[in-house]
Amino acid sequence: MIVPEYLRYSSDHEWVRLEGKRATIGITDYAQDSLGDVVYVELPAVGERVSPGGSLGEVESTKSVSEVYSPVSGTVVVVNDTLNDFPQNLNSEPYGTGWICEIEVDDVSEVDELLDAASYRLLTES
Amino acid sequence: MKRSPLYESHLRLGAKVVPFGGWQMPLFYRLGTVGEHLACRSAAVAFDVSHLGTVHIEGPGSYDVLQRSLTNDLSRINPGRAQYTHLLSDEGWVVDDLIVWWISKDSFDVMPNASNTSRVIQALGGQERTQERALIAIQGPKARALLGSISKVAAGVGRFAVGEFEWEGYHCRVAGTGYTGEDGVECSVPTGCALDFWDALRDAGIEPAGLGARDTLRLEAGLPLHGHELGEGITPLQVGLEWVVAFEKGEFIGRTSLEREAKQGVDRKLYGLVSATRQPLREKAKVLAVREGKGARDPGDLIGVVTSGNYSPMLERGIALAFLDASAHVEIGDRVMVEVRGRGVPATIVDTPFWSHEGARR
Repeated sequence: MIVPEYLRYSSDHEWVRLEGKRATIGITDYAQDSLGDVVYVELPAVGERVSPGGSLGEVESTKSVSEVYSPVSGTVVVVNDTLNDFPQNLNSEPYGTGWICEIEVDDVSEVDELLDAASYRLLTES
Repeated sequence: MKRSPLYESHLRLGAKVVPFGGWQMPLFYRLGTVGEHLACRSAAVAFDVSHLGTVHIEGPGSYDVLQRSLTNDLSRINPGRAQYTHLLSDEGWVVDDLIVWWISKDSFDVMPNASNTSRVIQALGGQERTQERALIAIQGPKARALLGSISKVAAGVGRFAVGEFEWEGYHCRVAGTGYTGEDGVECSVPTGCALDFWDALRDAGIEPAGLGARDTLRLEAGLPLHGHELGEGITPLQVGLEWVVAFEKGEFIGRTSLEREAKQGVDRKLYGLVSATRQPLREKAKVLAVREGKGARDPGDLIGVVTSGNYSPMLERGIALAFLDASAHVEIGDRVMVEVRGRGVPATIVDTPFWSHEGARR
């Protein structure tokens, strides 16, 4: 399972990459692997206000559906709408073309409180 | 939890193994469900379906027991042929749907669904032989061509024919049957040679596929699954399987109830639904009428329920099988709304199969 060092993680298996006040959100390699083949992604709406634990849409595979939870507070500013036609990108590149959305975060210190790679790896191995 | 004779191989091949009907079976391998589905539509794959039952029935009178228990008419076929048939309850409900392999005059192998094997033995008698063999389905347009390098005899068995072949000195059986909407065969091989045979299939270029793909393939082919489209409260007439019921042959279990239903007309029927998007439709989702429908109901009225739903890799749309009320008077092409987790997904009523090599339904 790939867990890049430069990202932060939620215990619900989302990853966060912070640049300035912009956070890019996706689901982890562990999450995509347990879902199986992703066939549909329900993206959040641009402009939507989200808070930690709030819904950021749904990811659906041939075997199940799984909610995506926001790891931070803020406003959705960009969504990856290529996932409408290529949901399989979540399987092939969960940290790349499989990103889900960008959030303008209210408080960047929220990101510091998320898990680092070592802690997240421990979580998935337990 | 029971294990197939091929269990160790599934682990070695990196399969995700899940509990299924009391068995630990592979859900998918490294290709993933969609990849395996597409491989079956374009080339060939092999499924371990050892969890299905084999019940052996032999001796004088076997024919009569099957003929007066099951719905289909064995006199339509001969020894050396297979037949799809139903075992009903007195109420006319489908206790199990099964394939009968007619091996020779007084010898039959009956193949029930995993969880129904004991109920089938209760009704028909016979001896369970599930643990003595592996059952392997080889399916796809290239199934016979690729299998031919292992066994010409197995690859050459006709559609719905039953044959025998030798493999490494073991006596194996084969039938020209399957559950994918593709051409192909199902091989019953003794446990002693099962792993070797399974490995030889891969060497011949036939990729393994799991039960995930088996389910999306059967759904795309519009084939019913026990526990979803068949089961308690459901008759063969409601799912459009009139051809499985041979009223003209005489008595069989459930006949009186079915005749009554045939006369009165069914109060619900199974239809195909195709979603307007890729979003999978899901089991238990409510089907609601919409304004455009020609139905006698008002928009938003509940007219049915989804029995199986998923994503169709060939259509790249959500698809479903659903029971719709006869009183809604729906027609093919009507639009409906399917309520998936509280949100309405627009869908169209279509004929099944959803997809075949002749074309797709949208």
